[in-house]
Amino acid sequence: MTQKQLTHILGRIGFWLLVVAIALFTLFPFYWALNSSFKSEQEIMGSASYVPSDPTLINYQSVLSNANFIRALGNSALVSGLTVLLALSVGSFAAYALGRIQFRGRTAMLYAVLSMTMFPQISVLAGLFAIVKDLGVFGSPLALIISYPIFTLPFTVWVLTSFFRGLPGEIEQAAYVDGATTFQTFHMILLPLTAPALVTTGLLAFISAWNEYLFALTFTITDPGSYTVPVAIALFSGNIARQEPIAEVMAAAMVVTLPLLALVLVFQNRIVEGLTAGAVKG
Amino acid sequence: MAEEKKHPLEGTGSPGDQPRQRRATDIENLGVELISGLFMLLGLALFGLLFVQINSDPAIREATRNDTSVFLAFLDSFGIVTPLLIILIGVLFLRLGFNLRKRSVTAARWAELALLWMIVALVLYSIITFVSVGRASITLSNPTFDIGGAILAILPFLVLLVPVFFARRWLTGVLEYIFEGDETLTTRNTRMAWNLLLPTVALLILVAARPLEETFITSLTDKRFAGTGTVNFVGLDNYAKLLQFRIESVNCRSDESGVCQTDNAGTTRWELPSRDLLQLGFRPVGTIDRGNGTGLSIIGTDPDFLQAVGNTLYFTVISVVLELVLGLFVAMVVNSKFSGRGLMRTAMLVPWAIPTVISARLWEVMLRDNQSGLINKILVDLNVIQSSQAWLANPSLQLNTLIMVDVWKTVPFMALLLLAGLQTIPGDLYEAASVDGANRVRQFFSVTLPLLRPTIAVALVFRTLDALRAFDVFQVLLGRQKLSMATYNYETLVQAQNGGYASAIGVIIFILIFIFAVVYVRTLGVETE
Repeated sequence: MTQKQLTHILGRIGFWLLVVAIALFTLFPFYWALNSSFKSEQEIMGSASYVPSDPTLINYQSVLSNANFIRALGNSALVSGLTVLLALSVGSFAAYALGRIQFRGRTAMLYAVLSMTMFPQISVLAGLFAIVKDLGVFGSPLALIISYPIFTLPFTVWVLTSFFRGLPGEIEQAAYVDGATTFQTFHMILLPLTAPALVTTGLLAFISAWNEYLFALTFTITDPGSYTVPVAIALFSGNIARQEPIAEVMAAAMVVTLPLLALVLVFQNRIVEGLTAGAVKG
Repeated sequence: MAEEKKHPLEGTGSPGDQPRQRRATDIENLGVELISGLFMLLGLALFGLLFVQINSDPAIREATRNDTSVFLAFLDSFGIVTPLLIILIGVLFLRLGFNLRKRSVTAARWAELALLWMIVALVLYSIITFVSVGRASITLSNPTFDIGGAILAILPFLVLLVPVFFARRWLTGVLEYIFEGDETLTTRNTRMAWNLLLPTVALLILVAARPLEETFITSLTDKRFAGTGTVNFVGLDNYAKLLQFRIESVNCRSDESGVCQTDNAGTTRWELPSRDLLQLGFRPVGTIDRGNGTGLSIIGTDPDFLQAVGNTLYFTVISVVLELVLGLFVAMVVNSKFSGRGLMRTAMLVPWAIPTVISARLWEVMLRDNQSGLINKILVDLNVIQSSQAWLANPSLQLNTLIMVDVWKTVPFMALLLLAGLQTIPGDLYEAASVDGANRVRQFFSVTLPLLRPTIAVALVFRTLDALRAFDVFQVLLGRQKLSMATYNYETLVQAQNGGYASAIGVIIFILIFIFAVVYVRTLGVETE
């Protein structure tokens, strides 16, 4: 009995050590950014210190008084939000077809969708630029909403397809027997069951769109009112001429990352509310 | 036909009528003819449109006049996908029109679908036109949205919307009894599938088709980036230069006593390849030591690129394997029940949430080669290393440092995907396994891993895809010290202005990714079931 208790306690300790190790691994660079954001530029250039010797809020003041940056936060939220909505709504239909319906050319279609995102961004930039110009949306956030599906959509379709395939076939059959149409089965029964996948892909796609740099820079460069966050940060000029304002960039990083983390905190519970055991029994 | 004229009264049938047993009225027949005519007309209009566009294209006219390659000019203006697609849709519409006249129920259902998507397309196109026309007149002196002009621009589409809308409504109403034939499950499934796929396909064709095929086409030419000179078709020359390599046996450079010379860092110095090969443009990429003063020298016509391929493959394989293992590990931890799990899941995602623009700079600061760099400070403080290391300047550390940064950044991505995958494994399987006496480790290998395979395959596909295209980490942290395929692509395009050559690099990356994706999908079996 004591033996068993001992292994249990040791197991718990080991587990918590693991948790701490993971937290350290993921968080210590983040801590470093936080730490740097309270330092002056001079201190950053000097020897590294684990806590700021003379904490200052000047970096935050400078970032939050930057009108372009504040507007960029709004733009990023708009662009990423709409991109994810578009990718999930359009992509879940496609994934349902690719995952649940038998038809000719299914595998070819899956690869065709993937191939849209297999070129390096720089290769497709010129072509995409021409399209954005043709559609007359160059310089507006709409240009980004139109071009981001090139990487969010294949991702969404592939992940959701693999999830749809993983669901047991009995679910649909039961729904059909009850007289549901294909569409009803899809959006009333299958979609809720894939909630973990929807939330996961949604979060990951949101973050990719939020952090995308090259397209955003190219398509909005002429219009500072349309900058997204990464562009605005990259174009920080700094107080001291000709010097990279690292402390300021880190302060901006904090301001940018916190909303994302809040989003994750809100949605993370949905990830585990998926297919509950026994959903097909009865 | 003559019989049907005896029933001139219109109407939707008396209540006692059975669907499909009632004969179509004249009006209804006329309606079907009209709709079938509409589709045939649309098909022909598409052909006509294509013809007119090609004939009036200035670049093609220019090429015809100057006797330069009309084909290249055509590709440049239209590409391949768009004309083919227009022809395909034209043919399909024509066929649909004929089949509608035959009263095929399958054709009717396809027509219903086509009309629905036409409505959607018209509405969306009107919205985009509305915004872009309205915005076009915005200038600094006149910052107002031109509502009048925008409405005028979309008016034709709105007018077109009306007949299409009513045609569809009418068709849906009469579909049951005018059209004949039964549908097999396969036809129904195929239609259903294409219906669901259409938005995705349309969006991707709109956004991606042209840029992708342009890259393919450009890779076969000597086009300059941002240049206006004439473009020549060079076939596979770009690929030949990029990929041509040979393996030659070489001797080391020895001094008089026959001992191999080494440079300051202690690596052996090798003889250059023969003069003939040098004249053909071959340059050494690297040499594998076989001992006894001999080695196998890899020489290529573009050593920088082959080096970049080597760097990228090394980077990809090691980082993706590490990410998979660590990601699985993290996913299992945050999947178990403990207090603070939600916070932990959030903390886990932090590295992925920080924009790459920032995190790369952050690492650049942390990896500085003196005491202002955090990594050196920690490791020296902990006595792990004696003195500060030049993580980003020392060639033997560079790639591994990058791998560490990339693993840190993308383990969250992997972990989150796998965490979602873990949710699809029914809990009763674990119960059954533990009843059978399987311990945690056995459960992991006989329940978790096999059932997680499809998710792992998808995660691997997208991680490999990103690793093979790795740009930001290489660019920010190493600059031009060591190139990845994507940064070499960038250098070729922006520095050397060599558009054709850069596109060929893009295509090679594309093909490599494709190979990896097929291998993952085949071996991990996402296609089965």
